[in-house]
Amino acid sequence: MASVTTKPIDTTTIEVPGQRAPLVLGSPDYGTVTESVCRLAESKTPMSFYVALGISASLMGMLFGLIGYLIITGVGVWGNRSPVFWGWPIVNFVFWVGIGHAGTLISAILFLFRQNWRTGINRAAEAMTIFAVICAGVFPGIHIGRVWLAYWLFPIPNQMEMWPNFRSPLLWDVFAVSTYATVSLLFWYMGMIPDLATLRDRATGKIQQFAYGLFSLGWNGSSRHWHRYERAYLLLAALAAPLVLSVHTIVSFDFAVSQLPGWHTTIFPPYFVAGAVFSGFAMVLTLMIPARSICGIEDLLTDRHLENMTKVIIATGSMVGYAYAMEFFVAWYSGNRYETFAFINRAFGPYAWAYWIMVSCNVISPQLFWIKKIRTTPWMIFVVCIFVNIGMWFERFVITVTSLSRDFLPSSWGYFKPTIVDVLMLIGSFGLFLTLFLLFCKFLPMVAMAEVKSVMPRPGGQGDH
Amino acid sequence: MATTIEQSEKTKAEPELIGLLAEFDDPQALIDASMKVRDAGYRNWDTHTPFPLHGIDEAMGIKFTILPWIVAACGLTGGTIAVGMQYWMNAVDYPFMISGKPLFSLPACIPIIFELSVLLAAFGAFFGMLGLNQLPKLYNPLFKSDAFRRVTNDRFFISMDASDAKFSEIDSGEFLNSLNPISVEECWSDVSSPKLPRNLVLGLSLVGVIMLLPPALVAYKRSTTTNTPRIHIIPDMDFQPSLKAQNTTNLFPDGREIRPSIKGAIPRGQFKDDNIPFYYGLKELPEDRDVVGIALQDEKKADAKKADAKKPVEAKAADAKPAAGKPAVVDAAAEAAKKLDKLPWVTEFPMPVTEKMMARGKERFRIYCSVCHGLSGDGDGLVSLRAMELLQGTWVKPASYHTDNVRKQPVGRLFNTISNGVRKMPGYSAQIPPEDRWAIVLYLRALQKSRYTDANTLKDDEKSKLRDTK
Repeated sequence: MASVTTKPIDTTTIEVPGQRAPLVLGSPDYGTVTESVCRLAESKTPMSFYVALGISASLMGMLFGLIGYLIITGVGVWGNRSPVFWGWPIVNFVFWVGIGHAGTLISAILFLFRQNWRTGINRAAEAMTIFAVICAGVFPGIHIGRVWLAYWLFPIPNQMEMWPNFRSPLLWDVFAVSTYATVSLLFWYMGMIPDLATLRDRATGKIQQFAYGLFSLGWNGSSRHWHRYERAYLLLAALAAPLVLSVHTIVSFDFAVSQLPGWHTTIFPPYFVAGAVFSGFAMVLTLMIPARSICGIEDLLTDRHLENMTKVIIATGSMVGYAYAMEFFVAWYSGNRYETFAFINRAFGPYAWAYWIMVSCNVISPQLFWIKKIRTTPWMIFVVCIFVNIGMWFERFVITVTSLSRDFLPSSWGYFKPTIVDVLMLIGSFGLFLTLFLLFCKFLPMVAMAEVKSVMPRPGGQGDH
Repeated sequence: MATTIEQSEKTKAEPELIGLLAEFDDPQALIDASMKVRDAGYRNWDTHTPFPLHGIDEAMGIKFTILPWIVAACGLTGGTIAVGMQYWMNAVDYPFMISGKPLFSLPACIPIIFELSVLLAAFGAFFGMLGLNQLPKLYNPLFKSDAFRRVTNDRFFISMDASDAKFSEIDSGEFLNSLNPISVEECWSDVSSPKLPRNLVLGLSLVGVIMLLPPALVAYKRSTTTNTPRIHIIPDMDFQPSLKAQNTTNLFPDGREIRPSIKGAIPRGQFKDDNIPFYYGLKELPEDRDVVGIALQDEKKADAKKADAKKPVEAKAADAKPAAGKPAVVDAAAEAAKKLDKLPWVTEFPMPVTEKMMARGKERFRIYCSVCHGLSGDGDGLVSLRAMELLQGTWVKPASYHTDNVRKQPVGRLFNTISNGVRKMPGYSAQIPPEDRWAIVLYLRALQKSRYTDANTLKDDEKSKLRDTK
């Protein structure tokens, strides 16, 4: 690869064995990278942005309005009734936390494995992580009923002179999710400091200069600073990698440590983590496929990136499918009649419709990515990813509701019916997510410019990373 | 005045040369130049690049950072805090006993040890990096250079500090020029006043003072006492729309929130007709079973009449309904007593009489009866004495148990009096369960017997008890 400059511009996006497709298309030049990323923040905002922001902000407003209604009225506005006390709020929580796994996984684990293609997508994926974790944090927060007592979740000295029970998985969950949110935020923000400095140095308006100047903390690109920065980034990646695996493991403990048939299984932690990565990658693709063409960053976020991600989806989708099969096998092999009943009831009971939506979306649809045509056509990837998103929401619904609706006493068995508030809150959480994402696209560097520049071939052809 | 003098002095100050800045457009050129600067022996200098340039550390001779040690120390601190916190909170300060398991077990602590270690290590990495880099530092003299704005885009710079021992304006400038940069420029210190604009200071102070008001108010309220009810920010479930016993409502035709029991309904645990002697003190129930329990004085009836007259007509009509099932209240106490006399009271206890029952009766008697009737049943309890002392006109002196009238009454009649009351005495059936009422009757009989028994008829061991002073 010593002759990059003499070669015609490489526009291949599909890899052939023995030769890597370039990470950045077009003429590789530091200035054009800066230009194409900063253009979004600097150029005049198109009308379509305001339309999209208006819609998602209204949905977000609806969510906040409903939360107000919930707080004033009480959790009875949801469909949570005996025996299903963990209804949609917990389903939505697990769904959003799962989606929040892709960003840090891409940033941390792919960074440690030196997968340079991550540089194109990591920033947006990390932002998505933060926003998904915010959406996730809303639901358990309001699910506790008396929201103003949410501080009871934390070991804060209080007038009752009581401490939380540290042997409860629900408390582990509080620590896991809040640590994950904090570390993800640090990781995302730290990665953004040099790029915020770029925006600062290019800003013309007073407000932009002030805001970008404040948040870039006076970054001046010093090599001594870069040295420590890179070390810190590597350390954060090394810390975040096990953290990202721990979060959904601990979320799965919420279920697995209970005694309910269908929940009390040791396969839950790895199965949840695989599912989380699966849903997270699907959500990244769902967002990035339209975003990259709207924002005109297809040269930085190439078809190769999409294809690599579809491969991760095949892998994790197959793991999820394997877990579904293994749950059934263990239910039969354990000889436990309650466990067996729970799973037969899942597949053929009153919630069979949800179960088979889940199986067809999560097990069958990702297998379509074995076909190269589908794997390399963005709109087809988009369609499959939508199905994966739907399937993963239903997975959490099936796990939560089928087991709870068949309580230990058959006399208390019931059928869960969501209320309109449940449905609108789920829709509203997408509004919150998209509002934050749109604001991010508009005001923050959507692609990690410094990182992309560091993996580009250098002018003069010396060194190729 | 002092400030203005200082300000004018500052503005008069000459800008000083604080360094030189050489610009390159190629990363390799920067690395080559850096090696030369390093070899020339400069110490206070730096390179600035838009991205981490590989190979620059060696070219500049940057020593490896101590950041990993900071991160490790933070991580260990986090883990230690997690173990200590969980041990102290759940095993020492507020012991959590769950299913008889040990108060502290390490495996259950692992998730939080892990999370807190990672959290603090991440803080160490992020804030350690910022601290070592002396960031945030929003102002930097280099930012005054227009060319330097491209350092975050596509240009590469060497900055040389004037504080370096080897630095001299002319020599160092020539040296930098020999490295083939695009340009070399001089950096001058900023001589503008470092003071914040006056309006900004005033504005910020005002905001600060206003922000202090709420916490100050809270602190004041917390440290003082008041007669008014406490401020109820979040009322939890203190105010509920449910109906309460003594209020009125439009919901029911009788206007009461409390609902009377339905005639003929037997509440759980109140079925009595299978053991009439035990529950009523009667051999059999009279036809008009409501006769039982009306031995109240006629003045009570008169009171009720007065109250009725005061009430509006609707309310009176409404009241009439629940009362309809009740018998006509008998005019005189004597007439009521006469009616009661005719009833077939049980004369024997409807259960075996035991020593234990006697002890129980004594204990209950002392709790419920002695306050009015006195410890020996003479009707000289403390409540009664006090009422007499206050000359309460409506007070009726409690009966002595030792009158002929009371002594002649069969046990069933005494049981009924405790259950339903007599004259001013209210019924105690709500407070005292029937077996205890029977125990009290038993003790009452013992008290009566003690007055009219010749001590010489006692058995020897009982006599010895009387002699015993203990």
